[in-house]
Amino acid sequence: MSCPRCRSSEEHLRTEYQGREGDEIIWTVYYCKRCSFTWRDSEPAESIEHGKREASFRADPDHPEKYKQNIPPAAE
Amino acid sequence: MDAQTVDLSIEARDVAGRIHDLRDYLDLLAGHGQCITWPEAVMPEPDIRKIVVAASRDAMMGPAILFDKIRGYPGKRLVVGVHGSFSNIALLLGHQKGAGIKELFYEIIGRWRSDYPLIERVKPEDAAVNENRVESGINLYNLLPLYRINDMDGGFYIAKANIVSRDPRDPDDFDKQNVGIYRIQVQGPDRFTLLSVPSHDMARQIRMAEEDDVPLKIAVMIGNHPAMAMFAATPVNYDESEFAYASQMMGSPIQLTTSGNGMDVLAGSEMVIEAQLMNNQRCLEGPFGEFPGSYSGIRHVPLFEVTAVSHRTDPIFESIYIGKGWTEHDTLIGLNTCAPIYSQLKENFPEVVAVNALYQHGLTGIISVKNRFAGFAKSVAMRALGTPHGLMYLKNLIMVDDDVDPFDLNQVMWALSTRTRASDIIVIPNMPMVLIDPAAEIPGKGHRLIIDATSFMPPDPIGGDAKIVSPPSGDEIDDLAKYVQRLQREAENK
Repeated sequence: MSCPRCRSSEEHLRTEYQGREGDEIIWTVYYCKRCSFTWRDSEPAESIEHGKREASFRADPDHPEKYKQNIPPAAE
Repeated sequence: MDAQTVDLSIEARDVAGRIHDLRDYLDLLAGHGQCITWPEAVMPEPDIRKIVVAASRDAMMGPAILFDKIRGYPGKRLVVGVHGSFSNIALLLGHQKGAGIKELFYEIIGRWRSDYPLIERVKPEDAAVNENRVESGINLYNLLPLYRINDMDGGFYIAKANIVSRDPRDPDDFDKQNVGIYRIQVQGPDRFTLLSVPSHDMARQIRMAEEDDVPLKIAVMIGNHPAMAMFAATPVNYDESEFAYASQMMGSPIQLTTSGNGMDVLAGSEMVIEAQLMNNQRCLEGPFGEFPGSYSGIRHVPLFEVTAVSHRTDPIFESIYIGKGWTEHDTLIGLNTCAPIYSQLKENFPEVVAVNALYQHGLTGIISVKNRFAGFAKSVAMRALGTPHGLMYLKNLIMVDDDVDPFDLNQVMWALSTRTRASDIIVIPNMPMVLIDPAAEIPGKGHRLIIDATSFMPPDPIGGDAKIVSPPSGDEIDDLAKYVQRLQREAENK
């Protein structure tokens, strides 16, 4: 498994929560610690398969400088 | 009724007396067929999105949808579209379903005051929101039925919460306590980012806290008194209290209690998440489908840590659909966007009759004004651009006469068709603009447009001889229109 948005490998992913009904697991929510993407494994492929996501909706955590600051930290 | 409060109709007073929280409002809506409990089980994605989009197509009559059978979230409840139609707003104001938007506009104007807040204090131990409290092992995914609102959002958003914060340099000033709606992206079981536009109150408080290196505590109220949500999204001045406006608009007291971290919060909210800014820490946030109908990009956004959660038993997660309009965003804040522009304009120009700034938070506004002389409406338009909301938002302005209802687009198109010359159009280049407006030249800067569609006045020599047809109007014609509709229905049923 890798991040659907930035393709980071499994060690960068975190399991957030499993939706259950009784003993049955209905879905699992994951979080990518590198690009902050959150997804549920039951979502349509267009949202959670890297190959099916539009290129403009991918993320590049190797180059964080690409992304603007909403409010620059005062410490910087 | 106290002379210091707003004079309400009998129906409005009845509603004001009945509604103390979200649950009371949902009962009122359900009684009028304006809140539907979805009968079938749904998957969080894409079912919820599809259903709420379908329900919100009708901006006049669309109902709220309550979900209580969400797969993987047994027992959890979600409601979307609570303010999703003008009929829902009408019922809150004591008007009939289907009431005209102009009628609701004048109702809101009549209630627009904050000088005598009606606040009732409730002890924390007596507040419904404190029925349950979580202080350890917090997991927002376990507390709320979170889901992806639009399919390319970067995560799961809490998009209709009302967030309370205090001025970190003046924490005891009630009026400087801010209540706003800011989008929250859940970034972990007990972490979230909160996005505020740099000019907004919350952003000022974040900057102050980080510059002074002091804690900024906030309370995130979810599932609130319906008047609160309307005012949390209203651009009131920094030192004015949204609680005060909300209570005076309802004409009945707002019940406040104190959250575990010292904020004033609604005693009847479904949930209050207490959190603290993680000074100078940022996290990637977005994209998120925003109110212009396009996605905002990915940014580094301030990060907060959840410190405790209070909630009612079986809380209802109140959410919103936002995207290409109309959506609940437009009906929730539409009238409350019009009202302050109107009252600020009225101070200088009593000739202003009504302001329609319903579209995408006022990116397009239509102002009707009693024209005094040629060019007068253009001056009024310039003043509108200088109002606090106009400064960033009013991008396209259409000026119409007082005989045109700015909320009736057929009438506005008539004015455009018959009273506009190409030379009555003004473009003001390189003006400030909303960051997420996709029509900006560069984010934050673009052009403004004023279309003067008012009639020709002296000293203008042309067009003044147009004699307007006055079709019969008034109660008699309204009654006849209803009679025609009844005959139509009868003919259909034969």
